[in-house]
Amino acid sequence: MRSVPARPVRLIDGLVGATTLNHLVSPIILYAACGLGALGVALALPKRTFSPFIVGGIIAAIAFGLLMIGLGVATPADQRPNILFYVFAGIALLASLRVITHPRPIYAALYFVLTILASSGLYLLLTAEFMAFALIIVYAGAILITYLFVIMLATETPSADEMDTLNDYDRFAREPIAATIAGFVLLGALTTVLSTGAAKALPETRLATVNGQQISLLTRKVETVLRDTRDATGKPLLAAGETVASVEGGENGIIKIAGEAGSVTRTIPRAEWPADVTVENIEGVAFTLIGAHPGAIEIAGIILLMAMLGAVVLARKKVDIDEAATHEAMNVLGEKAPGAAQ
Amino acid sequence: MLHTLASAAADTPAPMAGATLYHYLVVSAIMFVIGLIGFLTRRNLIIMFLCTELMFQAAGIALIAFSRFHLNHTGETFVIFVLTVAAAEAAMALALVVLLFRRKETLDGTVWGDLKG
Repeated sequence: MRSVPARPVRLIDGLVGATTLNHLVSPIILYAACGLGALGVALALPKRTFSPFIVGGIIAAIAFGLLMIGLGVATPADQRPNILFYVFAGIALLASLRVITHPRPIYAALYFVLTILASSGLYLLLTAEFMAFALIIVYAGAILITYLFVIMLATETPSADEMDTLNDYDRFAREPIAATIAGFVLLGALTTVLSTGAAKALPETRLATVNGQQISLLTRKVETVLRDTRDATGKPLLAAGETVASVEGGENGIIKIAGEAGSVTRTIPRAEWPADVTVENIEGVAFTLIGAHPGAIEIAGIILLMAMLGAVVLARKKVDIDEAATHEAMNVLGEKAPGAAQ
Repeated sequence: MLHTLASAAADTPAPMAGATLYHYLVVSAIMFVIGLIGFLTRRNLIIMFLCTELMFQAAGIALIAFSRFHLNHTGETFVIFVLTVAAAEAAMALALVVLLFRRKETLDGTVWGDLKG
């Protein structure tokens, strides 16, 4: 079940090759971008004196652009990211900046939804389709709705004369300058470590084509694909009475096809397979999840159950039933009410 | 037909995956730091918890990028569990926020500063 995909050699080359910081981005650009970004975030945070979000946001965006240009120059031309990467990353980071700077919690939560949508775009670029949609469903659909409900539940009722004022704790951040400096020193350290240790390239082959052993477990899928695919003359690759007997993956893979009698009548070599006979992302995730980590799923289920019980117990409100109703209930049950005349 | 649409991309390199691992890790690190700064500076309890979700999200991007980088699905599987823990944490944390709000009638995190003693 647990197959080891064949790895392109370039992956290892990249790991060994990227040993110096200069290899990826010049340190001056890196630290200048960090400083500029810190300035932008510090300006954008809500402060007592003045907090121009627009100016701070533009400065932070310039810092991100500077870092990306530095990174792009240092990257070989064939490995530069698609324009969509910059679009999604820019939206995600600007929206997350707005999450921490917007004074109103509702808007912060909605900007967080935007962050989620943009990062699921990044997931799609990484060919993790299943996780991209699971992310939108779980985060944007479930968790954020819970947040919105709590924001609605836990808000002081505004009085008539001050309908639209913000609370002090929403208007002013706590120690914005110090926190920003601390955060961006951490970012500088992180990116430095990354550039000395991380490899430079993502492997270029599609994940699915190399998983030889997993495809042999998916004979029904291969059968469907073969029935749906037509050759040059318009006939399906698998005739009505035929079934797929077995599939062997890998470089010299072969599909064995059985006739109506049940014995293998013909085979399809790897070179003639339709392109769809692969293990897709969602199937690969399923193999890893169910095959390699079955116990973890059970534990995750228990964690969720415990969280649900805990949330119910914590948020429960003690209801005070008034005296008369208590007495009535006691009478119905045939008991003496507490505090009744002796 | 769905099959013909997908078949064009199957054997050629996926066109959008040209970015290097470092690009994704940098985006993940920046998002994590933004979440960290938000957690440290904002005083509204709900926004503080929103910032922890932001940090979870950054970790998720790094995990997915590594999963793509190593050509297996283990990273993605781990993100499923990160999502699970994030959902459980959100339920518990928000119940606690409601509880804390009932106690002091405010969402200000600094009013609990007297716990410093």
